Amino acid sequence: MNSVTLQRIVSIAKREWKRIISRRLYIFTMIVIPLFSLFFFLSLMNEGLPKEVPTAVVDADNSALSRRLSRQLDAFKQTDIVVHAKDFSEARKLMQQGKVYGIYYIPENFERDVLSFRQPHVSFYTSNSYIVAGSMLFRDMKTLSVLGSAAVGRELRLAKGETMEQAMIDLQPIVIDTHPLGNPQVNYAIYLCNVLLPGLLSVVIVMLTVYVLGSEVKEQRSREVLSMAGNDMFVLLTGKLLPYTLTFMLMATFYDVVLYRFMGFPCQSGLANMLLISYLFVMVSQALGVFLYAVAPIMSISLSFSAFITMLSFSISGFTFPVGEMPGWLQVCSNLFPLRHYFLLYANNGLNGYPFQYVWPSYVALLIFLALPIIMSFRLRNVYMNSVYKA
Amino acid sequence: MIKRFFKQIKEGLSDLLVVWRDEFSLIIHDNAILMLFIVAPLIYPVIYSLIYNNEVAREAKMVVVDYCNSPETREFRRMCDASPDVEVVGVCANMEEAKEALRRREAFGIMVFPREFSSALAHKRHAYVQLYSDMSSLLYYKCFLLTATEVSLEMNKEIQVRDMSGATAREEEVSTTPITYDDVAFFNPKSGFASFLIPGFLMLLIQQTLIIGICALSGSIYDKKMYHALAPIMRNRRGSFRIIFGKALCYMMFYGVMSVYLLWVIPSVFNLPRMGDPLNIIAFMLPYLTACIFFGMSISVFVKEKETAYILVAFTSLIFLFISGLSWPGCAVPWYWKSISYLFPSTFGLQGFVKINSMGATLPDLRLECIGLMVQICVYFVLTTLVYRHRVKTETV
Repeated sequence: MNSVTLQRIVSIAKREWKRIISRRLYIFTMIVIPLFSLFFFLSLMNEGLPKEVPTAVVDADNSALSRRLSRQLDAFKQTDIVVHAKDFSEARKLMQQGKVYGIYYIPENFERDVLSFRQPHVSFYTSNSYIVAGSMLFRDMKTLSVLGSAAVGRELRLAKGETMEQAMIDLQPIVIDTHPLGNPQVNYAIYLCNVLLPGLLSVVIVMLTVYVLGSEVKEQRSREVLSMAGNDMFVLLTGKLLPYTLTFMLMATFYDVVLYRFMGFPCQSGLANMLLISYLFVMVSQALGVFLYAVAPIMSISLSFSAFITMLSFSISGFTFPVGEMPGWLQVCSNLFPLRHYFLLYANNGLNGYPFQYVWPSYVALLIFLALPIIMSFRLRNVYMNSVYKA
Repeated sequence: MIKRFFKQIKEGLSDLLVVWRDEFSLIIHDNAILMLFIVAPLIYPVIYSLIYNNEVAREAKMVVVDYCNSPETREFRRMCDASPDVEVVGVCANMEEAKEALRRREAFGIMVFPREFSSALAHKRHAYVQLYSDMSSLLYYKCFLLTATEVSLEMNKEIQVRDMSGATAREEEVSTTPITYDDVAFFNPKSGFASFLIPGFLMLLIQQTLIIGICALSGSIYDKKMYHALAPIMRNRRGSFRIIFGKALCYMMFYGVMSVYLLWVIPSVFNLPRMGDPLNIIAFMLPYLTACIFFGMSISVFVKEKETAYILVAFTSLIFLFISGLSWPGCAVPWYWKSISYLFPSTFGLQGFVKINSMGATLPDLRLECIGLMVQICVYFVLTTLVYRHRVKTETV
């Protein structure tokens, strides 16, 4: 790179800085929104797992044994019995009103039937309109029913003269020992934040890049900046986007330090590697913005596209619902979204700590995205030359 | 006196119609707004429904390392493989080979049977099954965990029955399971992702496209310095009502039609829950749309340019989704975020619609949501009035 090129880049970047400080919009989008999002999601999920999900018990028996069973349910971390409903229809009403997420039903004559070996039948109901809360309760209620059954079974065996230990082994000969790799507490914040937050940052970066490029045309100053760049689109884009690249890299650094140092989220590949991935992702998001603006140089249209694509990427990247379960053509399409590759890089590098040979395709994919502006530079120059603003 | 009153009504209505007509022509001549009001609501839900159409993860891929290789472990493996949620894609000779399968993303879980598995069972000690899961997908983890638990409960029962000699069949059964149970997943029997997420997502889409659209329209009027066009109508307070109602009516018309498509056509085509009574849904949508419109008109004061509307509103979608208590259960939302969430129509809209549509609730069950929306309508209407009076005044002088 010769010194003229460098000078031009620097002068365009300086001009851009002046534009940035002249309007609150830029500061708001580059600093306030990313910091607010970080604070919002970390404070929302700071418990990691939803605790004390409200539950109703319908105890039609109301005996010592049935009361003990419902007390045991209440003792689970994730279950909070807020109502003892008098009948099932009352409990169901509460569920429809969204006041409870689960119902545990103990039938009449429960104690009598247990003691006379008549196998009473308990039922539990979870509201799966709220999938997270519903599945938490499901686990607790199921465990309780199995354990409750086991506890009674244990009493029966102890009565037969077995030792406590022997009774436990007899009841549960095979034990499942789970190892959730990288996230031993099955923490929801770890599962969601590591992709949600960079994804949100990317929403802002893509849209701001479109806006930054389009506003030159809108203000009829695109020819001015083009001549400053000596008609070289590489110089123009580098100079114009550099201040944003640096600011957003700073934000990404802050994100990574907070997540992987301060919060202690798993990052086996090391902070430096995550930073590299984040910086790459910042630049890829900018490249996507340049591409989208060049495709549809009417800002409001390209911003619509940006919103559409970046929002869709949260679903299609597969970090909540796996890509492998989507229809085949959507699985192919998922590769067109940078967040998909970011997610794979975090999962395989950060969470699982796999060596480079298993993750390189995702790096290559991101590098390909970086080349998008090159394909579009000719078209973008025409847009800047003609300088026609359309709302 | 009465004559004057009628004259005023007549004048008011004709002004309202003028505002309505102008706004309508502004919208249909603006491709960007048409994309927001029509194209996005048409296409977006279809893609989302296709993404989540399989509802649940099936046949999560798992590899097995069987150091014991006895009839019991083979039985365990076979039962896992036979379950709908898990597929055993391979048997590995050792742990290293299994980890390699994970790294290649050919499998997402490993089940390990230690060498002493069967001898532990024979000697009446606990026999452990080790289950490793890739945590990049919680859904697969859930498949592995539930299946392994289910299979182990089943086998435990068989083993107990086998070990019990001389007892009657009935005695055996009662002694292994003194209490029986069943579980019912209410409202979303498949525990599906689409049934859970899409109804709320549709309501959020309505609010977000509406407020981006309203802000963009107001921003473009500002851009073109067109506020003076409203000045003649804005003679007094009644004048601002005419402007606001005229515009609101216009947005309402678009979203009335789109709502039918979003809340009736989409759920029918994609087999999503539809337990709600249509009359209840209509009665709930009217205040929701009104609240969204006035909310959008109020916050349009912050948007001085058409394009910034997108940047300032788009990122809030995820925040509204999480704060509303759908993605993240309401009982786990901290109190300060919960109080803030009551400022947004989407909070009540999502909750209310999910309750009507997916849980079959009726309007009397939705007291909180309805009152919340009514309060929002009043507050945001007053704010809208202030915003419009302020804008027309400052921008026409």
